[in-house]
Amino acid sequence: MSNSLLTVNNLTIESRSGEPLLKGINMEIGRGEMAALIGESGSGKSLTARAILGILPDEMKVNGQILYKGRDLLKLSENEHRLLLGKEIGIIFQDYRGSFTPYIKIGQQMIETIRTHQRISKKAAKEAALLVLRETGLESERVYNSYPFQLSGGQVQRAAISMTLALRPNMLICDEVTTALDLMNGEKVLKYIDKARRETDCAVMMITHDLAQAYKWSDRMHVMYQGAIVEDGPTEQIRFHHQHPYTRKLCSSLLSLPKERKASSAEGVYSI
Amino acid sequence: MKTAVIRTSLSLGNVNLVLGLLLAVFITSVTLIGGSLVPHDPFQVDMGNRLQNSSSIHWLGTDQLGRDILARLVYGAKLTIGLGTVAIVVAILIGVPVGLISGYIGGKVDAILMRIVDGILSFPDFILAIAIAGILGPNLTNLLIAIVLVRWIVYARVVRGLVLTEKQKEYVLVSQTANSSSLKTIRMHILPQVIPDIIVMAAIDVGKVILLVSSFSYIGLGAQPPIPEWGAMLNDGRSYFQVKPLLMVYPGIAIMLTVLCFNLLGDGLKSHYDIRRGRGRI
Amino acid sequence: MSILVVDNLSKQYSKNLQALKQLSFSLEQGESLGVVGESGSGKSTLARILIGLESYQEGAITFQESPIAPKKRAPLRAYRKNVQMIFQDAASALNPKLPIWKSLLEPLKNYSEFTPSFIEVDGLSDKDIAEKLLGLVGLDSNLADRYPGELSGGQKQRVNIARAISLEPSLLICDEPTASLDVTVQVQILTLLKELQQQLNITILFISHDIRAVTFLCERIIVLKEGSMVDQFELDDLYKSRRNSYTKALLDAASL
Repeated sequence: MSNSLLTVNNLTIESRSGEPLLKGINMEIGRGEMAALIGESGSGKSLTARAILGILPDEMKVNGQILYKGRDLLKLSENEHRLLLGKEIGIIFQDYRGSFTPYIKIGQQMIETIRTHQRISKKAAKEAALLVLRETGLESERVYNSYPFQLSGGQVQRAAISMTLALRPNMLICDEVTTALDLMNGEKVLKYIDKARRETDCAVMMITHDLAQAYKWSDRMHVMYQGAIVEDGPTEQIRFHHQHPYTRKLCSSLLSLPKERKASSAEGVYSI
Repeated sequence: MKTAVIRTSLSLGNVNLVLGLLLAVFITSVTLIGGSLVPHDPFQVDMGNRLQNSSSIHWLGTDQLGRDILARLVYGAKLTIGLGTVAIVVAILIGVPVGLISGYIGGKVDAILMRIVDGILSFPDFILAIAIAGILGPNLTNLLIAIVLVRWIVYARVVRGLVLTEKQKEYVLVSQTANSSSLKTIRMHILPQVIPDIIVMAAIDVGKVILLVSSFSYIGLGAQPPIPEWGAMLNDGRSYFQVKPLLMVYPGIAIMLTVLCFNLLGDGLKSHYDIRRGRGRI
Repeated sequence: MSILVVDNLSKQYSKNLQALKQLSFSLEQGESLGVVGESGSGKSTLARILIGLESYQEGAITFQESPIAPKKRAPLRAYRKNVQMIFQDAASALNPKLPIWKSLLEPLKNYSEFTPSFIEVDGLSDKDIAEKLLGLVGLDSNLADRYPGELSGGQKQRVNIARAISLEPSLLICDEPTASLDVTVQVQILTLLKELQQQLNITILFISHDIRAVTFLCERIIVLKEGSMVDQFELDDLYKSRRNSYTKALLDAASL
């Protein structure tokens, strides 16, 4: 892939006691691509993200390569890593309450974050913040002047994503960002992420256990099971022509809505 | 799992526990059988032999009235530790049920019980105990009453707090939907979660109470002469401090070792339970 | 025959927080009714009221034609024998300090006069009964001596289901029983519930935000929004154009 942004080569992680946690992960994410990393709890998907972000516990042994724009992230010093985070690679977590300090207004925090990474005036930072907030589809002025607790979970999560996007990262890692949200709010968040990546050509690594979301939003799926990627490919291929037994089990566990059942009655009740 | 157990028993937390247990064994055996090993009567005045140094007859010497110091220390151990333990046990027997009822039932019962507790808590406990002991008159029984009165509220408070957290747990709700009585739910699901914290607290508290008993005897509100309570022995020795400082050093060491023992036990038990809980969660 | 009738039920937590607003619906013997709603829709409050863990201000609940008063002990005893609940968090619904068999037997011990039909012979020990219960939900009998910490999430939820059906209730309330589980396990648990419902002829009230799970298990669905019922329909009518706009939005968000 010529437009590759992130390449993971044979990434292995061992715990202190030598237990293998990741067993040789290979993955490639292209510019502007929406890649889903799907798996169940304990499959190693969050660990992969942590390795990319350089926030693994010290006692874990990491081997392999994580090439971001040709630089090996595993060889960066802690300082270089921190500079890269935020500016080049943005991260959003499941727990949206952790994204903002509760007693400071959201706008204030956005300005501070923007200005730690970009040397611009307060006024310019405010404009940038309002701009990205407007793009979320929220009432930008109101959100800007609110404390986190005055907004719903979905609104805070979208504000957090917009703050990350204000830095114009080339890659966004979304670690189960919709798990704590309602179905409809989760959809709004994903819709916004999708729109943002189309406009800014920012690649998205979407870590999720929700198969329906991965089907709906990703270009490519990487199926993780017990610390390894057992199958990957374009989403359509994984969905309809999966090969690995685990992928088959996973895909068949998506319950179908009545309409979907009629569409594919040949494949039985569960699968789509 | 076996290796985990071995590793925890070597960890620092359990060094405390092991040391504490060793000290406890030592102190308990001295308290229980020491009396029969020391051939002297702790009350036997012998003015011809006052302020003797250590000898083969009187291992730790004699005091200002010629009484054997070791015999008095051993006798005093029974009093001091016994009193501390009894005080804590009684405080637990009152405080824990009050905390359980208050926390579990809530509502008006909780409001009334906790206002009483708040009222007592608003006085510094040492001052309050002085007042109670002063009003009832200075002797060991009244001291015991005073200590129980100021300590039970601590248990009630802590247990109530634990119950408030515990009763939110879904298995407590499940127990209610299984139509278990309040008593059964508390016994089956809440008390077992609370007991480790009470044990840890009690271990540390016994040490505190021993200090309190000794302090009271030292200022004359607890054990009265000639009873060889350790604090009272300290007080007795005060006038002879210039002549024979050991009169104060011996009971001082006894108090220190005992309090240290209970503190080590408390800390050791705390980390013991913390580790067990951590493992339970995994 | 309606097994449960909820009439005009309202619950207010505080002046500004009304959890349920004049909710009325009924549940037919043997059916499975789905309650769909997002967080804040009052669906968990409904479950807690129905199981007798919470009170309510207005309205009436009638179970098998006798009225249920909240927080009154004597009628609750008979009611709880017949109405059991499965909670959302499989792990925290089991006391970590008790072996599985003790947790399993708690309900039966409270109704010692009752002998469930799965106990065919007299004189079974507590362990034997627990092992039989485990068998009903497809678990190995040697799990009886284990502690919750040694079980997987799916196994724990099966234990919870076994405990709930030990009294052979007529109504089983399931409050998001799969929300804490991995997707492949979710299907297994839902399938188990479906099988048990048919075997034991239990009526199920299935509460969930997951519209896919609801359509898998339930023939009839009601939709809650901010404490009010905004829609109710048979599963076959899910795609009918007269569906409420909120139902359509929910369905739209869940569709691929």
